[in-house]
Amino acid sequence: MDRETLVEKLRDVVGRDGVFSRPADLLVYEYDGSVDGAVETAAPSAVALPTTAQQVAEIVLLARQAGLPVVARGAGTGLSGGAVPQRGGIIISLTRMNRILEIDREDRTALVEPGVINLELSEETLGHGFFFAPDPSSQKACTIGGNIAENSGGPHCLKYGVTTNHILGLEVVLPDGRVVWTGGRSTGYSGYDLTGAMVGSEGMLGIVTKALVRLMPSPEATLVLLAPFPDIESASHATSRIIAAGIVPAALEMMDNLTIQAVEPAYHAGYPMDAGAVLLIEIDGGADDVRGTGQEIEAICIGSGATEVRSATERAERDLLWKGRKMALGAMGRLAPNYYLHDTVVPRSKLPATLRRVEEISRDFDLPIANVFHAGDGNLHPLMLFDRRVNGATERVLEASKEIITYCVDVGGALSGEHGIGTEKRGYMTLVYSADDLAAMAGLKNSFDPAGMFNPEKVFPKGYMCGEVRALRMQAMAQKLGIHAL
Amino acid sequence: MPYSESEVGSRQPSVENVSIDGLFPSEVVVPGNAEEMAAFLAEATALGRAVSPVGGGTALNLGNPPERVDCVLLTQRLAGIIDYEPTDLVMSVGAGARFGDVQAVLAEHGQRLSLDPPGGSDATIGGLIATGRSGPLRYSAGTLRDLLIGIAVAHPSGTVSKAGGMVVKNVSGYDMPRLYLGSLGTLGVVVSANFKVLPRPRAEATVIAVYDEPAKAFAAAGALRESREPVAALEVAFLEGAWHLATRIEGRDETVAAVAARIASRTGGDVTRLEGTASADWWVSYVAKHQVSDDENTVLVRCGARPKETAALVSGMLAALNQIGIVTPYLAASPGLGTVIARLDLGSEGSAGLLADVQGILLGLAETVTIQAAPPSWKHGIDVWGRLPEGFDVMRSLRTQFDPERTINPGRFAGFL
Repeated sequence: MDRETLVEKLRDVVGRDGVFSRPADLLVYEYDGSVDGAVETAAPSAVALPTTAQQVAEIVLLARQAGLPVVARGAGTGLSGGAVPQRGGIIISLTRMNRILEIDREDRTALVEPGVINLELSEETLGHGFFFAPDPSSQKACTIGGNIAENSGGPHCLKYGVTTNHILGLEVVLPDGRVVWTGGRSTGYSGYDLTGAMVGSEGMLGIVTKALVRLMPSPEATLVLLAPFPDIESASHATSRIIAAGIVPAALEMMDNLTIQAVEPAYHAGYPMDAGAVLLIEIDGGADDVRGTGQEIEAICIGSGATEVRSATERAERDLLWKGRKMALGAMGRLAPNYYLHDTVVPRSKLPATLRRVEEISRDFDLPIANVFHAGDGNLHPLMLFDRRVNGATERVLEASKEIITYCVDVGGALSGEHGIGTEKRGYMTLVYSADDLAAMAGLKNSFDPAGMFNPEKVFPKGYMCGEVRALRMQAMAQKLGIHAL
Repeated sequence: MPYSESEVGSRQPSVENVSIDGLFPSEVVVPGNAEEMAAFLAEATALGRAVSPVGGGTALNLGNPPERVDCVLLTQRLAGIIDYEPTDLVMSVGAGARFGDVQAVLAEHGQRLSLDPPGGSDATIGGLIATGRSGPLRYSAGTLRDLLIGIAVAHPSGTVSKAGGMVVKNVSGYDMPRLYLGSLGTLGVVVSANFKVLPRPRAEATVIAVYDEPAKAFAAAGALRESREPVAALEVAFLEGAWHLATRIEGRDETVAAVAARIASRTGGDVTRLEGTASADWWVSYVAKHQVSDDENTVLVRCGARPKETAALVSGMLAALNQIGIVTPYLAASPGLGTVIARLDLGSEGSAGLLADVQGILLGLAETVTIQAAPPSWKHGIDVWGRLPEGFDVMRSLRTQFDPERTINPGRFAGFL
């Protein structure tokens, strides 16, 4: 099948306006939210924008016939290169499948298409007294399908868990073009938990075309506390004491002084410019509970050295306190032209030592690093500030990043807490996983996609999958027949 | 064989007689570490022997009768707490550790695993993972699926793989722990597991309301759900000849009392309030009823429907079973989850044929039906797991990838995998 034929056939499936094939239109699909230069890419042959599961299945069958890889894509906000094609092929963009099909008050579920934007789902369900708990910082743009692929987190997963805890069932297009449901509205489905396997599989096992998600009842009361501390150490100490007191806040976020320098002038959220660190703590639940817990947290913060504790109960006030945190990335442009956002996790008790190490690395590499992170669950987000026009700057950032990852893994942490592996961190997989560990993951991949057709060259170290060797041969054959990367 | 029966520890009193659905193994092995376990599985695979892993032995009746049981593998020597850092709210524990022992260690630090599974204290961590059991606390706290953050598994290939870690957020590679959960050992035997643990609630209370008919209990449950009161567990059960609505409340001292008072004033019916240990003890004995009895004619089924159809499922089940003369001495429903657990007395007429009829009737009423326990001879001829799931061929591939010779529990899992 030559490229023109492929494009024609795709148009037959999704209509003329549902296929992109001109080089200028394809260019944007070589990128996602990850840092340019940190991930490799190869332009797709075409981008298709289906509107139904049936169309997705037909595109997958076409790709099979053509021997081309398929890469599913949501809003492209991913930070690990997960949606960036490595060997070209067909990109299935799911942004036109963006309907909320059903909100069920009694069952407390929503049935959504994968292209629904995360925040829109919460806003839509708010009127029914519910919200969708996973709230990654990109929630204004990222899609539910992307959240499922990455098993996204967000500030509120401290109390509410990550995406996988909120997915009850999935309609999935398999690599052989069949459409199947995993899980569903009930409990006790027989067999293996394929829903659990799909979530976080970075588009490598199947393409989600519908998701049945759990909705959480909106809490009766919500309280946001802002506590500035003289330094990171005292803020970390307060965090440990809150957890030790048996309190699990809905969210517990920390920002260091450099972050405050960027966000306060931008959003005027009221973070003191001279604070060494601020803690942003949210608690929710019954009104009595929230009041009592709030007083307890306030006392702990003051006892740990907080200079004051401000609190907000009304929506507008709470949103303002949150704005500096949720929009922190957007403010970084005030400090440097580029940033590299890191994502690693360490056991909570290792946070202070890890932050000291990050500071050392910042000095060693002469790179300003702002820290904005989910302190409650040990999920760090060091933000390295640089100017990529400076020769060697990107390389220096990647070197420093390697130092941070290595340290985090050494103290018992993980490669990624919520951004995924994609291509960005596949080279680090062997830092934490043995050949036997990877073989088990490959066993899962091979059960769904033995030919390695879906999102090849992700997660596993480059060249790891034998299926990929086979797919490479398919690719060579496709190129011989005139279908090749532009 | 590298291990002999003489290594069997004193904590497994019934090991001499351990059997799976009436099949007695010719050998019992008790590996002392992950590598020994994997080596044994590889050896069994090479010799074509069938292995059934056994933890606390609290759910041996679960599953289809195995095709063969050549060997029983006990996890009891892998029972240690491997790592526990209370301030990190995470714990790593050996598969053979007893649930009760683990909870006791956590309780010393004011923490717990938020789980109240049938099998209780005697169940092992590995067994709970293999069978994926949960109890009424699922309503607010979820299941092991929501608590499991890392795992190590011994495979029939002779390897030990690990996945996840000791942190609560982790997207480094596929989410393997969830794949093993509830897989009845068919992809490998759990060696150790890591969990997210939580602070124990400072106080708890239970409000029990008794009604003369199920509709009233379900209506009260529905109103409670609609009221959004913070409820930890919500069950409608037929106990001792009457319909009960039991509501468990957990939280801070002052609020638990206030919420319990509000709920008690709202439920109607004949109300009893329990606090503190009395409340906790009531739930322990309640969950114990979900366990299989030794009564030969008793069948335990678990059905699932959409949560809002729970009441309809219960009345449909009772009517249909009554019509064919089957008595339901015990029934427990979770109206927020759509789950119904019932003990059926098939009486002296009990047979494989009758059980198949019962399963057929239930499949017509519920979305999911699992025969959780039944006399072994009655289980032949049906798949106790009920409907074959969509994507079953992917599941078959998984089994082939992880256990190509079907060494572990052949035939016991869904679709006779």
